Amino acid sequence: MNREIRVLFRGAFAIFRRDLRKFLSNPFVIVMTLFMPIMYLIIFGNAMGGATTGIPLGVVQEDPYIHETLLYETGTGMLETFHQQGHPALFRVIVFPDETSAQNALRERKISAYVVFPSTISPGRDVRLYVDSSEYMVPTLVQSGVQSALAMAGAANPLAIFPLYGTIEYIQFFGVGVIVMAIFMTTMMGGGIALIRDREMGIIEGYLVTPVKRSSIILGTIGSGTVRAFLAGFIIFLVDILVAGVVIRSVESFILVVCVLLLICVGITSLVVALSSRFATQQEYASSIAFLNLLFFMTSGAFYPVIGMPYWLKWLTVINPEYYAVDALRSIILRGQGIDIIATDLVAIAIFALFAIILGIVTYRRTLE
Amino acid sequence: MCGAIGDMVAQTGTTSAVKVHDPGKDPSPIIRVRDMTKIFHNRHEVTAVNHVSLDVDQGEIFGLLGPNGAGKSTLIRILTTLMRPSSGTACIGQYLVGKDDEEIRKIIGVCPQNSTIDLDLTAYENLEFYGNLLNVDEETLPDRIHYLLGMVKLTDHTHVPVKNFSGGMRRKLEIVRAFLHHPLILFLDEPTIGLDPDSRREIWDQIKRLNAERTTIILTTHYMDEAEKLCDRIAFMNGGRLVALDTPENLKKVIPSGELIELGSPALDPAVVSLLQHRDGVRSVEIHDHVLRISVKDSSRVLPVILADLEHHSVRVQSITIRQPSLEDVFIYLTGIGLEGG
Repeated sequence: MNREIRVLFRGAFAIFRRDLRKFLSNPFVIVMTLFMPIMYLIIFGNAMGGATTGIPLGVVQEDPYIHETLLYETGTGMLETFHQQGHPALFRVIVFPDETSAQNALRERKISAYVVFPSTISPGRDVRLYVDSSEYMVPTLVQSGVQSALAMAGAANPLAIFPLYGTIEYIQFFGVGVIVMAIFMTTMMGGGIALIRDREMGIIEGYLVTPVKRSSIILGTIGSGTVRAFLAGFIIFLVDILVAGVVIRSVESFILVVCVLLLICVGITSLVVALSSRFATQQEYASSIAFLNLLFFMTSGAFYPVIGMPYWLKWLTVINPEYYAVDALRSIILRGQGIDIIATDLVAIAIFALFAIILGIVTYRRTLE
Repeated sequence: MCGAIGDMVAQTGTTSAVKVHDPGKDPSPIIRVRDMTKIFHNRHEVTAVNHVSLDVDQGEIFGLLGPNGAGKSTLIRILTTLMRPSSGTACIGQYLVGKDDEEIRKIIGVCPQNSTIDLDLTAYENLEFYGNLLNVDEETLPDRIHYLLGMVKLTDHTHVPVKNFSGGMRRKLEIVRAFLHHPLILFLDEPTIGLDPDSRREIWDQIKRLNAERTTIILTTHYMDEAEKLCDRIAFMNGGRLVALDTPENLKKVIPSGELIELGSPALDPAVVSLLQHRDGVRSVEIHDHVLRISVKDSSRVLPVILADLEHHSVRVQSITIRQPSLEDVFIYLTGIGLEGG
């Protein structure tokens, strides 16, 4: 009996030691896997728990007006200083000369909302609040902030709220982000690992002794990856329409969605081809890609508005292609906006795609030589 | 140096007349390796191939033999354009390795040591895929695939995913895959490693059949019997160096002890021993029980003399065994180590 237990533990210990030795022999993987929960901690802890501040809010005096009303002056003053305890001001107040310019600024998403104070000739009328309802959490914050500020200013005027894009459910807001997330996830996890496995199994080497052109291999690999990624994104897009109740308003919108998807798909596939060429083993690739995937997704604004993120994290969104893709898709799908509004996003995605394609070709080519 | 034999290769590519394979009469080399060295710069510098020069004649089955780590696979990888030599040159036909790689890839077929067959695809799909990579004529590709599958008796498994194949079936598929485009030269790296005796025999038959179609075949192996059965000429490699290169018969003559003749007889006269010992070509004579063991240089010349002597002394011979030294013995003699790398 005693002997049996010794044998049991001996075997267990042998396995324990082998596994641990393998674990410790790859510090890169350890660091990368540790990075994941740390990133969760920092991003969720900071972004979700912390207070959102500095929401760009437009104020405008209703036309026609002779002087600024008292309500406008005290209201604007209150809005400028309104803050939650221990935090900086909730709003960054921007004064607009007339309603039309405020409206344009809201459409172009330079501001999150604007308040229209009644004119001098119509006292006692509603204070109107126009909100960009395509964002998550921000509309609610704006609404309660404006309400409290007005109450503190002693205004008796009722507050009328106009959501610019109607009521948008969180599932719709999030659903559009998931399209991009699906593309990144399937490509980074599925596509990259499949490439490394093919290389490990020597299948790529089989190609190399045939007269097939190296450019054919690269073109075929990136092409198939792009189609796979596109299908993943498109399926989620259909689910968004059928389940989340997202509405596509026109053929132009549909074509724009497809364009954005294709562009981001070819970009991310090329990036994955480049990355998987650099990593020797599946494990190394998987752990670093999981980290990168998380970082991209967290800072993409897919499920949490970028405005709520701490300042130092916001700069990551500037170089995050996923952010531009999410933003472009939300503009098209949720706000029904056209190419004029999403041009910046498109240019950013195109630059990313071009950069990734060049990187992908150069890096992959090196592994084929 | 590659141009000298260029015309010859160009001809073989177009002429339809198939000459009977005879390495003796067709000695023009299709592969020429000159002073080739490959050094790997890892943590330690490793010279995998060390100043190797050799020629492979057209239409022969050429064996590269040596223990693991001898440099066989590295040499093959260089010849199949997967690697560049550190120094020296290699020509395949009129093409220079490292310069005309794309042309070389059109005339070679490669069956690497590790399987490159996609397990998720069926046999047909695998061959079709490679047919497209190899730019085989689309019209004839389906027929070619069915012909090749029939040749290795895999017709019943045409549309079965390769993951359900046995090791031998996979290997056979891999070999015909390398042969899809009628290559002039077929490289087989350890074609029968890890296979059971039946599968090995089948693959040997296959290799012989492909060779009969006038394909030059280069195979690496560390199985003696394989090399001996198949190869017209054998190159011994050890530690990156070419140790010897000749036909299996000639290689065996390298060992001074030559052959061993064992004669069984119920009654042996010790006087015969001294008599035989003085015959030409006889090295040593011993009696063990009822067996006369004679070490000779060349049994075909000496044996008749010995038998005549024995008859003269009325020694009745019950059995005759001629044992040739195996290639393994030759290898051990030349390198001081066994083929298993011991």
